[in-house]
Parts: sequence; structure tokens; C-alpha cells
Amino acid sequence: MYWRSLFVLIILGLATPGFAIDVHELVEKANFTSYYQGNGGKAKVSMVISDKGGATRNRDFVILRRDDDQDSAKTGDQKFFVYFTRPADVNKTVFLVHKKVEADDDRWLYLPALDLVRRIAAGDKRTSFVGSHFFYEDVSGRNPREDEHELVEETSNYYVLKSTPKNPKSVEFAYYKNWIHKKTFIPVKTEFYEANGEPYRLYEAVKVESVQGFPTVTQSRMSDLKTGGKTEMSYGEVQYDIGIPDDIFTERYLRNPPRKLLR
Amino acid sequence: MQFLSETSVRHPKVTVSLIGVMAIVTILLAALPSVMPEVFSFLHPVSVDTDPENMLAKDEPVRVFHNEMKSTFRLYDMIVVGVTNPGNDNGVFNPESLKKVFELAEAVKEMRWKNADGEMEGVVDVELMAPSTVDNIQPGSLGTVQFEWLMPEPPTTQEEALSIRDKAKRLPMFDGTIVSDSGDALALYVPLTSKDVSYQVATKIEKKASEFGGTEEFYVTGLPVAQDTFGVEMFVQMAVSAPLAMLLIFILMWIFFRQITIIISPLIVAMVSVIMSMGLLVINGNTIHIMSSMIPIFVMPIAVLDSVHILSEFFDRYQKSKDRYKTLSLVMDELSAPMFYTSLTTCAGFASLALTPIPPVQVFGIYVSLGVFFAWIFTVTIVPAYIALLPESSLQGFGLTHSEDEEHLSWMGRAVKALGPFTYNYAKPILLLVVILGVISAYGISQITINDNPVKWFTKTHKIRVADRVLNEKFAGTYMAYLTLSPGEATTSFEVQKNHLREKLSALGENVVPQILAEFDKQAEGVSNREELLAKLKEQFSEQLDAASDETFEAWEDAMLALETEKLDLEVFKQPEVLRYIADFQKYLLETGYVGKSNSLADVVKTVHRELYLGEQEKFSIPDSVQAVGQTLVTFQNSHRPNDLWHFVTSDYRTTNLWIQLKSGDNKDMSALVSAVEKYFAEHAPPQPLNHNWFGLTYINVVWQQKMVSGMLEAFLGSFIIVLIMMVFLFRSLVWGVLSMIPLTVTIAIMYGILGLIGKDYDMPVAVLSSLSLGLAVDYAIHFLARSRHLRAQYSSWKETVEAMFGEPGRAIARNVIVIGVGFMPLLAAPLVPYQTVGALISAILLLAGIATLLILPAILRLIEPIAFSNIRKEER
Repeated sequence: MYWRSLFVLIILGLATPGFAIDVHELVEKANFTSYYQGNGGKAKVSMVISDKGGATRNRDFVILRRDDDQDSAKTGDQKFFVYFTRPADVNKTVFLVHKKVEADDDRWLYLPALDLVRRIAAGDKRTSFVGSHFFYEDVSGRNPREDEHELVEETSNYYVLKSTPKNPKSVEFAYYKNWIHKKTFIPVKTEFYEANGEPYRLYEAVKVESVQGFPTVTQSRMSDLKTGGKTEMSYGEVQYDIGIPDDIFTERYLRNPPRKLLR
Repeated sequence: MQFLSETSVRHPKVTVSLIGVMAIVTILLAALPSVMPEVFSFLHPVSVDTDPENMLAKDEPVRVFHNEMKSTFRLYDMIVVGVTNPGNDNGVFNPESLKKVFELAEAVKEMRWKNADGEMEGVVDVELMAPSTVDNIQPGSLGTVQFEWLMPEPPTTQEEALSIRDKAKRLPMFDGTIVSDSGDALALYVPLTSKDVSYQVATKIEKKASEFGGTEEFYVTGLPVAQDTFGVEMFVQMAVSAPLAMLLIFILMWIFFRQITIIISPLIVAMVSVIMSMGLLVINGNTIHIMSSMIPIFVMPIAVLDSVHILSEFFDRYQKSKDRYKTLSLVMDELSAPMFYTSLTTCAGFASLALTPIPPVQVFGIYVSLGVFFAWIFTVTIVPAYIALLPESSLQGFGLTHSEDEEHLSWMGRAVKALGPFTYNYAKPILLLVVILGVISAYGISQITINDNPVKWFTKTHKIRVADRVLNEKFAGTYMAYLTLSPGEATTSFEVQKNHLREKLSALGENVVPQILAEFDKQAEGVSNREELLAKLKEQFSEQLDAASDETFEAWEDAMLALETEKLDLEVFKQPEVLRYIADFQKYLLETGYVGKSNSLADVVKTVHRELYLGEQEKFSIPDSVQAVGQTLVTFQNSHRPNDLWHFVTSDYRTTNLWIQLKSGDNKDMSALVSAVEKYFAEHAPPQPLNHNWFGLTYINVVWQQKMVSGMLEAFLGSFIIVLIMMVFLFRSLVWGVLSMIPLTVTIAIMYGILGLIGKDYDMPVAVLSSLSLGLAVDYAIHFLARSRHLRAQYSSWKETVEAMFGEPGRAIARNVIVIGVGFMPLLAAPLVPYQTVGALISAILLLAGIATLLILPAILRLIEPIAFSNIRKEER
């Protein structure tokens, strides 16, 4: 599969010699700035889910991230520890992910009130992330290898990528477009389309700040264009390179979260 | 009053042209804004409204609440598409049928379009409930929980097909809703942006389904489809039945009068009256509703009625003098007063409907009343003017040549003539029979069931009725009613709440407890409610939290959490004991027998809880803490359709919504359910005070029905009294006034008695007809009594008067009964039940009223002759 998409990319590269950047490189860079900057990191996230009618729901959580490959320039396997603090009834609920590039991710959910650790079956990652308009895949990152990418437009500030799934049955979109900032390689906008060419889902990076020298999205928004609902995530107290030990990301720590790290 | 007809006879051309211009102007004013909306935007175009919801005023509380809740719980009006396959042992659960279901769902998603205002309308695709668009939650391998589309793609093997069935049957939300109780059929629930598009969407679905071929059957139903389809067929009905009724009336008049040219005049009267009343209705911006669509059918016979009296009289007298002006003058002299009064009473009967609390019925009453008024004016002007305009030759051979010669009388004339002596000789037995019938009717009336059901407006063989029957046999019910619960008045005092919170805080991490409590007491001073206290504490605690050392951080964090947890008490529908109460209530609902199934937040919690414990059946229960409920619900929201939760509860968890599926849309069943629910809440106190409120179309129908029944009864009694007063005034006698009310009273009693005895439901058309019978039945009595009094003065006794009465006056009444009674028969062939009911009842009412008038009145007059005619004798002297 990999060589084939590469082949496609080469053909495309030949067909559109006007673009100054290699598509594969572009995808790789965008993926890196979105999920791999720094050697691990931490953020306090405040999520506001709102309806078309204006009713809102909040979810507050802390995300810890560790990259398996400590060489910070690579995009490889990762681990995420998502610790919920609010609303009060889900306090101490944990969502743990072992993200794998070559295989299905492992995911666990810890529900403290039932004292229950459950693995979440591999498979569909395009389900809602705790009731928000973000999908699980949006939070941990979609594997670029699952799509064919082509550079369709270049503006003064952005590269516009069109990505088409290799296995259309596994996803609900027909294709998506990514607006990648030329200097920072941050995808500032992603639009998901239906087969009829209508966009129905929109991701926007609302605010980008420099944290420890890394351009970081500190506010993002996912909108459901059909229902008019949207979810905003604000990232506070972002820290990179804090050296989170590997054993935190194990089942044992679900029941006894590292409270100091999560403060 | 004769002034009008005399003027018209003198200036026939002017009269006819004036009325013609009036009619044309009305047509233009009513039609132009629809034909050329840009040019005539200041006028009202024709607008059709088939929504029974509009039986209630827009600001009616129950309707306002209904719409509010629909938007709160994101509910849409839905079309139900049922799929069965009688040709396969597993029903639709085979690869081939499921492929069709899959394709149908894909096609349905695309059934949306931009309307004139650029807004999307049609199917709300994201809310479509079909096997391919809903989530299955189940334990996966290796102790995992799994969310997956129930049918992500059509199965390829029989095993896969059956596994889809088994998965759906495990989930209470789907069992009996998406998959049938019998496990062989599927249903798709198609939400619509608005009810108005349901006919369009239903037609598209039927078209798509018809392309599949094979042994599958597709049934399309649901209240919105029924209502919208009714609207479409209503117009077909209006276009067919009304002209057909007109034609039949025309044929009958021809049989009686044998002169085409003459009988055209009543038709003109009827047409112009209908044009004027319907035209004004449209011009004034009223919608054409199920009720108002019946206006022409009501106005037509009434309009013809008076003309038949004039023509009948003219027919019987013309040959005596061969002078049309003289005959006309005689006829009008005799008929003016009764015609005026009969029109006035009919107007009063219909106008009384304006007193009902139901807007479409008010409009109906007012415009029929107007139509009757127009009919009177046109009858006394057009008919005489028309006769005056006729060339002499066309009147030759018109009318009875020897009116008193029995040989030349028709069968009808002979029958009527024989009736006279009969009433004279058998007065007492006739009245005895009336009394017996009255008693039987009274019993019948006591047996009447008040009931309506929009789906039953279609005949039994109509595809909507068939779909309704099949789907309600197989599934848990296609009629939706919703019950909301919300917290009532809080019972715990602030003081108790405060102490409770303080206790909770004092149990936290030791190192900071004194500080926390000190802060608490400081903030609690002067605060009078919990919200305020919590807000103040939160502010203080979060400052402390930010400044806390690593040692005290946890304690302050726990203190903050304690505050937040306190707020959870407000989330009433996360409380385990409340959810258990709801679950018990749902069991009771099933036991009532009216409910096929109900779904609630409790079902969602129980199902997810079970799946979290890998499908253990004993875990199909509500967990014990509010946190556990909350976490179960968050788990549910990790699915493809997290927002399905908000169909059951608001995001503050302070209003919850139960979906109740009924197998019957009969108002009487819904009413019975409402009472059963009242009883349950009265007998079983919830863990904390809860208010309950119904909404949903099935419930709304009940509310307007109740209003209609009581409103109609009041309107009927009101107009009865008004008409009685008018009669007393007309005859200047209490006795004669009361007499004139007897035939209609007997008619209505027998009518409704029969309905009760044969078990026909008292529904909307039946209710409206009581006013019609009041207005029409009194007409015959007025004519009969007025003529009797008139004639009695010319004869020496009632015995002689009877002979004369059952000559020309009796024939006029009989002709009327036959013309109009038979004229309504075409309605019996209608595919819509309300029209059939109207047709059958009008015919029956007229027949009964005619018979009652011709039998009862002379029988009574025979017995009370001395009292009734005492005044006349004095006049004679």
C-alpha cells in the first residue's frame, strides 16, 4: 500500500510541477506539528460543547502525552493519559490510549464510580469523544497512511491538501481538505465532505501561540455544519518536555492517577 | 322583505348583472394573488392547512408546550417505514432484503432539498433511525466495550443477517421499534424538517421502494403522512364530490319540474353563494382547512333549499293563472316570511359555532353562516328575476295543470297526500311511537363513545390504514406520545442543605479542615440560598487552590469537588432512586395495556451499565450512585450518536422525556392512558416531587377533541335557545315556538341515539353535524307551521286544513327532503371517512327531519287544536 501511494504522489508531483513542496513531506510535517512537538507534554483542556440552541456542557480534563521514540523529531507510537476533572460526576474518569502507527490503537476507559477498567474495542475511532463534536481520531490523530493525499492548491499563506480515504467504508466522509500554514505547518482548517461535495464538518484552529518555542494550537473548534452544534477546546498551561515516566501510562495508574503530575 | 324580490322582478337584468359582477370580482380577488403573487402581494393567496394541530389556537398552552418540548428534546415529526418479507422464513433478515433496506436508508438520507427561502427541508438525515444509521453497543472480544454501526454495510451471509436481528433485539431502545417484536420485520423512522413535507417524502419513499421488486413489502405510515395525505385527497374529494352532489341535485329537480331552463336558477344561486362565501374566506386570509373545505358541501344544499320551495310553489300554481308576475307575487307573499326565518335560524345555528374554542370550527361556522345569508339574498332576487327574464314560451307546459286531480299526481304527491289523514286518524299512536323512540334514543346517546383518530379518516382498504394495521401488529406501536417529568418544589430547607454541606467538608483531608470550615462560616453568613453559597465558596476555594502547597493541594481540590458534587443534587434525573422510580413507572405503563413500549433515560442507563459488565443480564439495572450514572452516560456518549441522549433528557438533567409507543391512535385510548398515569402518580409518591406533562401529536388530538366536544355542546345548546326565542317571536306564541323545536329535537335525539347504538364514534364531523341538523330541521317545521297557520284561517277545522297542508305545502317539503337528501349520497363513495360520515348523516338528518315534521307536527296539532288555534279563531271573529 505504502509504495503505491508513493507512486501516486510521484505521478501527481510530475503532473503538477508548480508546487514547491513534496506532498509526502508536507503531510509528515503537518502530522508532526499537530501531535509530536516536544518530547512529550501536558495540557489542561477545557471543553465546551454547545448546541445550535445555545445549551452548553463542559468537560475539563488534563492530557499527558509521551512519545515512545524519545528522538523528538520522529512521528511514531505515542501514549496519552486523559484525566477528567469536571463535571463532578465524571471526576477521576480516565481515558488511556496507546497509539500505534503499524497496528490498531489500544484504548482503556476507567470509570471510578463503578471501579471498572474497560478496554474499548479496536475498530471504529470515528465515534464521539465523550459526547463532543470531536472524534477520538481527532484527539489522538488520524494516521496519514489511511488516506491518499494530493496538493490541490497553494495560496500565499497555505497549502491546501485533499485527502481521500483508501478504505471509504471505514469512514463517514468522502474526502477532507486541510489548510496547512506554510510557515508553521499547522493545519488551521480541516473541512470534511460528503460524497455530493457538500462540507458537513469543520475543524478550525482558533488560536495559535508559541509555547517553549513551539507553535501550539491553544484553542480549536469542531463544528457540525448539519446540526449547527460545535465544541471548543481551550488548552491551558501547555508544557513540553516535562519527562513523564512510561509506567504512568499503564492500567495500574488508572486507579491511582499521578495527582502531582496532573495538578 | 318582499321589497327585494319585487325590485328584482322589476329590474331583472340589472339584478342578474349586479350579482354576476359581484361574483366575478370575488373570484378575482381570491384567485389573483395565487396566480400572480408578485402583482397582488397585498392580497391573501389561497393557502391550505391540513394540520389537525391547528384545531387548537397557536397560543394554546398545550400546543406551545408541545413545540417547546419538541425543540428542547430535538424531536421531529416522523414517517415510519415498515419492511416485511412474507416470502422468507426469516422475514427481512436475509442478505437480499437487508441490502434493499440499506439502499433505501441511503436514498432516504438524500431526500432533502432547498426550499424557496434557501433553507433545507425534507428528511433530517442525521436523525434518521435505520439499521445502518444507529449504533449497536455490545461487549466485544477480550473484555471490551464496543460501539459500532448496527449494520455498517449489507450482510453477505444469512448468519450475518440474523446476527443483526439478534443485536438489535438485545437493545431495549431498538427492540419493538427498529426490529419487530416478532423478529421478522424492520422499521425506519424518518424525521422531517416539518410535517408539511411528509406527503412529498412519503411519495419519494414509495417510489424508491417500488423500484426494488422482490417479495418485500414496504409500508409507509405515521401521523404526519396521514394528515398530509388527507390534505391532498381532500382536494380531490372537493373537486369530485361537490360537483357530483350538484349534478345529482340537478337531476332530481329535473325529475320534479321537467324544465331545464327553470331549474338552472337554483344552481346559479348555489354556485354564487359558494363562490361568495369561499371567496371571502380566502380574501380574508383564512386557510382552507379540513373543516373549511366542507363549506361548499354545506352551503350548496341550504342554498338550493329555498329555491326548491319557490319553484315548487310556482310549479303548483303557475297553470292556474298563466301569469308569471301574479304567480310570483302570490308565491313570494306566502314564502317570504318563512324563508327569511328559516335562513335566519340556519345562520344562527352555524354562527353559534363561532362560540366554540376551536379556530377552524369558528371559521367554518362563520362562513357557512355567511353562505346561508348569501343564499337567502340570491334566492329572493335571482330566482324571481330569472323567472321574469324567461321568454313566455319556455314557461308553457310548466307546472301542474290540475293540482287537485289525483290522477295527475306523481307517486310522491300521492304518498304525501295519504299522509295527511293518517296523521289525523293515528295522532296518538304516532306520538306514542315518538316517545318510545325517544327513550331508545336516550339509551343510545348514553352509549356514545367520544373518539377520533386521524388515521381512521381513511377507509379500511386505504394503504395508510393497511400500513397502520400491519405495523402495529408487528411492532410496539407507531403512535408516539411523550411524557415529560421535571422537579417540583424542593422540600429540604436551605438550613438543612447548609449543614449537610458543612458536614461533608469537615470530613475532608485533616490538614486544612479548620481553614475550610472557617472559610465556610465566613461565606455562609447572610446567604439565604444554596446557589449563592456555592458560588461564593467556589470563588474562595479556587483562590486557595491556586495558592496551595503540594501538601494541601489535594485537600483543597477535594473541597472544590465537594462543592461541585453538591450541585449534582440539582441534576434530578441522574439520581439513581429517581431513575428506578421511572423504570417502575414504565413497567406499570406496559401493564395498562395501552402502551406497546416505552423508552426513557432509565433504559439507556440500564443498557450501557449491562454492556459495561460485558452483557451480564443481572447488571441490567440502575447503578447505585449519581457518579456511576453520570459515568455510564458519558460512556454512552462515546458512540456515533451521542446526541441521542438529549432526546431523553435536557443537558441540565432537570427535565426528562419518556417516549411512549401506543398501538392505537384512538383518542379514547390515549385518554384512558392519561387517566391511568394520573392514578399512578397519585398512588405512588416519587422519591422527590415531580411534575408531569404530556405532549406529542397523539396527545394533542385528545386535547382538541375534549375542547371540541364541550364546545360543540355549548354551541348547540346556545343556538337551540336562540332559535327557540326566534320561533316564539316569529309565531308570537310560546306554544308554536316550542312546537317548531320538536321535530329537530326528535331528529337529533334519534340521530345520535342510532350512532350510540351502532357504535359509531362521536368524532369531528359528527359533532359539527348537530349544528347543521339544528339549522335545517327547524326549516321544515317553520314552513309547515307557518303554512298551517296561514291555511287554518281559510278552513273551518284542522281536519280540512290537513287535507290542504298535505297538498302543495307537503309536496314542497317532501321535494326538498328528497332533492337534498339524495343529493348528498355521492359523498358515501368518498375515500375519506369524514366525508362519508357527513354525506350519510346529512341525508339521514334531512330524511328524519322531514318525516318528523310531516308526522309529529300534524299529530300534535290534532291533539292540541283548541289551544294552538285559539288566536286564529279570535282573528276570524
